Amino acid sequence: MTRRVRLWVLAAGLLATAALYAAACTQLPGFGGSWHPYGDRAVRAALQQRTANTVSSVNFDLRAFDTLGEESVLFASVLGTVVLLRRTRDEKRVAPEPVRVPAALRRYGRLMLPVTLLIGLYVIAHGQLSPGGGFQGGVVAATSLHLLYIAVDYPALERFRPLGLYELADGAGEAAYVLLGAAGLIAGSAYLANVLPLGTFNTLSSGGTVPLLNAAVGIEVTSAVVVLLAHFLAQALEIEGEREEDRSA
Amino acid sequence: MGRLLPLIVVVPLLGAALLVAGGRHVPRPVAEAVAGLAAAASAGLAAVALTRPPAVSWLGAWGPRDGHSVGIVLVGDRIGLGLAALTSLLVVAVLAYSWHYFDEPPHGHGGAFPALVLLFQAGMCGFALTGDLFDAFVFFELMGVVGYALTGYRVEEARPVQGALVFGFVNSLGGYAALLGIGLLYARTGELGMAQTGRALDESAGASGRGGDALVVAAFVLILTALLVKAAAVPFHFWLPDAHAVAPTPVCMLLSGVMVEMGGYGAARVYTTVFAGPGGVPAAGARRTLLVLGVVSALAGALMCWQQRHVKRLLAFSTVAHTGLFLTGIALLTPHGIAGTALYVLGHAGAKAALFACTGILLDRHGSVDECELHGKGRDTAGTGLLFAAGGLALAGLPPFGTSLGKALVEEQSPWLPALFVLVSAVTGGAVLRVAARVFLGAGQAGRDGEEGSEGPETAGGEEEPETGRRVRRPPVPMVTVAALLLAGALAVGTVPGLTGAVTTAAEAFADHGGYAAAVLDGRPAVHPAGAYDWWTWTGAGLGLLSAALAVGLAALSVGRRSRAVPGSAPLRRLHSGHVGDYVAWTVAGIGLVSLLALW
Repeated sequence: MTRRVRLWVLAAGLLATAALYAAACTQLPGFGGSWHPYGDRAVRAALQQRTANTVSSVNFDLRAFDTLGEESVLFASVLGTVVLLRRTRDEKRVAPEPVRVPAALRRYGRLMLPVTLLIGLYVIAHGQLSPGGGFQGGVVAATSLHLLYIAVDYPALERFRPLGLYELADGAGEAAYVLLGAAGLIAGSAYLANVLPLGTFNTLSSGGTVPLLNAAVGIEVTSAVVVLLAHFLAQALEIEGEREEDRSA
Repeated sequence: MGRLLPLIVVVPLLGAALLVAGGRHVPRPVAEAVAGLAAAASAGLAAVALTRPPAVSWLGAWGPRDGHSVGIVLVGDRIGLGLAALTSLLVVAVLAYSWHYFDEPPHGHGGAFPALVLLFQAGMCGFALTGDLFDAFVFFELMGVVGYALTGYRVEEARPVQGALVFGFVNSLGGYAALLGIGLLYARTGELGMAQTGRALDESAGASGRGGDALVVAAFVLILTALLVKAAAVPFHFWLPDAHAVAPTPVCMLLSGVMVEMGGYGAARVYTTVFAGPGGVPAAGARRTLLVLGVVSALAGALMCWQQRHVKRLLAFSTVAHTGLFLTGIALLTPHGIAGTALYVLGHAGAKAALFACTGILLDRHGSVDECELHGKGRDTAGTGLLFAAGGLALAGLPPFGTSLGKALVEEQSPWLPALFVLVSAVTGGAVLRVAARVFLGAGQAGRDGEEGSEGPETAGGEEEPETGRRVRRPPVPMVTVAALLLAGALAVGTVPGLTGAVTTAAEAFADHGGYAAAVLDGRPAVHPAGAYDWWTWTGAGLGLLSAALAVGLAALSVGRRSRAVPGSAPLRRLHSGHVGDYVAWTVAGIGLVSLLALW
């Protein structure tokens, strides 16, 4: 298709979709009403399970199977990226050139790395109590590690990032979620049933299996993001396509 | 047994996790054995569940109270379980096919390929079993991301990357549409379960005395769009030939054999459970949408299939054509239409996967999948040639293959259907037989044909890298065995007498809108006694023989001709441009088309 025809086809489609969606939106329930059937049921269930953060209760208890699916989507995406960004037969690995980092950036990184890591771990650990959890905290924790790359250099990151270990943790986090779900079956209930003691409301040890599933996701997300960035960084900094003269040699 | 349903989904997930965690250190045979065990365990669980009464499993024990639940349900009805079993069996076949011979895995990631295949299996099984709209979306996405990665697996070349990119773009758009649609339904009903949503829509329709309004229709259109993208219905189909032509052969077997069919299954499942009641979308609108897109896909797919010389691309377009026939069968919205389609899907999975398996053997021996370049090269492998030809005859609907039985059962539903089904089966089967005659018998003229310059460039499929690292001399035993077993499976679907009865009963339960909700929410499974059912009839078998004979005739007529181009089809061929922007434009336009068809 020529660019012109393509744009016309696209415009017609967008117009029809917008009309359809706009018509649907006029039929939505009014904004700010008090009718929240799922919200009411979820809050009641979260309180019954002594999980202060209802969102985490939905994610790791009421609809924990969705979270297993989502965790697996991330897991699969990272594995897919690892496969797609692999060093192919006609590529070679070169050591990246060191680059000088301004002193201010160096100080900033040294200061922020432990703080960021701590915040990440806090967000993971308090998932059952306050906004956050394994997904969010995992990304923060993984980010902290990469301050090494920004504030020091690539070799420093590589030294503190044993990739094999993170790949192991990536698989272990995924496996831990699956196996924690099976604990429900072994206890005679359903898959992913919350079978642990529920603990005291609004303390770290509350919510039964919620903190454990949350931690499994935290481990998986942290390692998945580290592995993901590692392969992107390697592709950008280390891997080079072979030049023609090398190939003929 | 109900409690164990989730294991069908999570056992492959566990296998994949183990392969990633230990893949660095375990040797390749161990990794492949672990993957095979996990896939087979899942297949076994699905098979055992099929022998027990239908059951549902509320995850986390969050069963319904007064018809409402905060949780997710997996529904072990016969059709869903059957599809999960088919998926798992096909995954086992694919792992066996790629055993040992398939390309060396990436360095340090020995388990990566089998792990991706297991994740693919989990995504498809989860999609087949879930009774929850949002959960279905999650598994739709899981199928998607794994599919993109597997399609682009051979990153050394440019075209796999393009194929994977196109696949990713179009399927992601479908995913967004589905999410919007699910959001609309949730805003209206406060429910995400299929049974609950359907019941809530019906209740609000009963209270207000009117059927589904603009919101319900919009939700239907948006969710259906995603499923039609997966099902590769025209005009959402453009990604499929580009992806299938470049994906590794074992992946093609899964994509064509069962993933594309998941789209049709999802469309039927979502319509019957959510939208088939008084508060949903009128049956006429749904029927028209599926019928028009099904017929157009079948015809366009067959027309494009005939003109290909790239054998994988040819098989890909035959998948578009056959999915069009499946959608046509589903569009009837009758238990018999569903039953016939289910048998057709089972037979097609065996036949199509076997055809891809044989094509993979050609690729590994000769480094090419070009019909012209391969001319006469297969003369020394009669076995592979026989299997390839048998696959072509199965596609053409030769009795007693399962494809033929399914086709016959659907055809009987309406007087004009035989014409469409016979035509499409004959053309797609004929194209495969033409390839078989040229490649394995050396029929017709040898050499390259450059006569088609006026028709624009075409994808030829020469000079491809074999998938075995280097070219193999003899067809590897596991590859040939898998192809033979898959064809035997397609044959069994048409010849095992009890199967049709079981599928007919299952289809009656599948099409029962109220019965599904009662089984899931009230724990009262509707009783569908196994009654009389249609099996082979003289008419059905006769039509199957007719389409097979036509296919042989078409192949015989065309085998000596240089050009495969059908006059007047150049504009249709040019639409398949490989340009991501074109495909995205068509996908968005398709949403408009589906709305028009649903609202008309």
